[in-house]
Amino acid sequence: MSALVAAQLHERRRSLLAWGLPIGLWSAFVVAIYPSVEDALSKAIASYPEALKQAFGIAELASVEQYLNAEMLSLIVPLAVGYMAVRSVASALSGAAESGRLEVLLSAPVSRRRLVAAGFLAAALELAAVLAIGLAICLLGSLLSGAGLSFGLALAGYANVWPLALLFAAFGVLATGWSLRTSVVTGSVAGLLVAMYVADLIGRLDAGLDWVRYGSAFRYYGRAIEDGIDPLSFLGLLAVAVAVAALGALLFERRDLAA
Amino acid sequence: MSAIETAGLTKYYGAVRGIEDLTLTVEPGEVFGFLGPNGAGKTTTIRTLLDLLHPTRGSARILGLDSRRDSVAIRARLGNLPGDFGYGKRSSGREALALLARLRGLADLSRAEELARRFRADLDRPLGRLSRGNRQKVGLILAVFHRPDLLILDEPTSGLDPLMQEEFLALLREERARGCAVFLSSHELDEVERVCDRVGIVRGGRLIAVERIADLLEKTTEHRRVEVEFAEPVELGEVRRLPGVTGAEYVRPTLEQVFLTYYEEGGRE
Repeated sequence: MSALVAAQLHERRRSLLAWGLPIGLWSAFVVAIYPSVEDALSKAIASYPEALKQAFGIAELASVEQYLNAEMLSLIVPLAVGYMAVRSVASALSGAAESGRLEVLLSAPVSRRRLVAAGFLAAALELAAVLAIGLAICLLGSLLSGAGLSFGLALAGYANVWPLALLFAAFGVLATGWSLRTSVVTGSVAGLLVAMYVADLIGRLDAGLDWVRYGSAFRYYGRAIEDGIDPLSFLGLLAVAVAVAALGALLFERRDLAA
Repeated sequence: MSAIETAGLTKYYGAVRGIEDLTLTVEPGEVFGFLGPNGAGKTTTIRTLLDLLHPTRGSARILGLDSRRDSVAIRARLGNLPGDFGYGKRSSGREALALLARLRGLADLSRAEELARRFRADLDRPLGRLSRGNRQKVGLILAVFHRPDLLILDEPTSGLDPLMQEEFLALLREERARGCAVFLSSHELDEVERVCDRVGIVRGGRLIAVERIADLLEKTTEHRRVEVEFAEPVELGEVRRLPGVTGAEYVRPTLEQVFLTYYEEGGRE
């Protein structure tokens, strides 16, 4: 298993920087400009409709953590990292099937279940590394600009993205049980990611439609950078991710691995 | 115990027939040629034996084990070269080899290095930058470096130059001498004739003949054509006038035969 995970991470080594750097640099920029836009933002926010502020998590922007949450952690980071998670498992499974790598690996004494588990584990590690790179650059930006970002809260904010993104990696595994075409796997799960975000947003905008949020993983995501990590939501999302990936592994084991 | 034993092996893709009622055996130390045109069911058969495809009905035993239930144990003793070997463009052959060696629990890669020298394979260049033939050489090394008991090869020489094809056939003979069974899917009839002990012919997904090469040729030639080599050049007219002869023609060597004479030891300059 460790050999497969290591090989998958080696294969995806470029994506760590390709995703981690932009997320980190953008976050660092957001943090660095906060001291200079703080007053203007407070005035602008005060004029926004209440429902809109609730929906986008910008009830007030009284701290750099709240500003980082509104600009990065409530939308861009979870969507970007969620999409990267799908690409990671798709690369290990459907991408490997398309390149011929899967047939070579399955000529060795490796069970399909082990192969899926290795792909999922590698995606989990890749996600953690990308979030860690993003967090490190963001903290560096805060240090250099003197924005005063709290290490503990920032760590909670970025760590909280991990189980959410991992859930979409698990949906990627599930989709691979249905199709071995990377475009189908990434396209369908990316669609689900956006649909869940929109469902959560609609539920927050209109109290009468709050029930639609129950079908969305974003309902359980919260605002860890302001409130700290909710252990129940964090572990709940993680448990669902593992269960969905296990179901995907079962489907992958039963399917034909060729056209 | 047979290396491969199938009974009524059938695979349908929905309503489309891949293979039907395939029953055959391949013995240890035998090179079995599996012949048929494109789309006849050769690759479907191989993928079903490898448990990449699940049979619609029928069964296969590989090295005495059930092809589905014991798939992982079978693959520990098996080598496979897919028709169009691929592994990802950025990885090198050495990276693929290192991973497969770890998955097979092997630390000694000396045989792989020896095969790389023999086939002049570049294990260090990314596979995406290799020609099809050079990729195929890497695939061949990955298939045989662990000394398997059964080799399954799907169009293994596609893209190889004639010299490497010769080396490949020599390797197959060595594997056979070691006791390894070889299941060789090909439509290179010349190479099949030269190395295989028996052949199975598949048409439209059905196995229509399984014969020893010698028996197959015996059936079809009826001994009406004889190739005779003279010490000196002769006039065809003289030969045609011999009693019972209805025709005579010069036999030119094939391009492959001429080509190979340039590379044989002590061959022409």
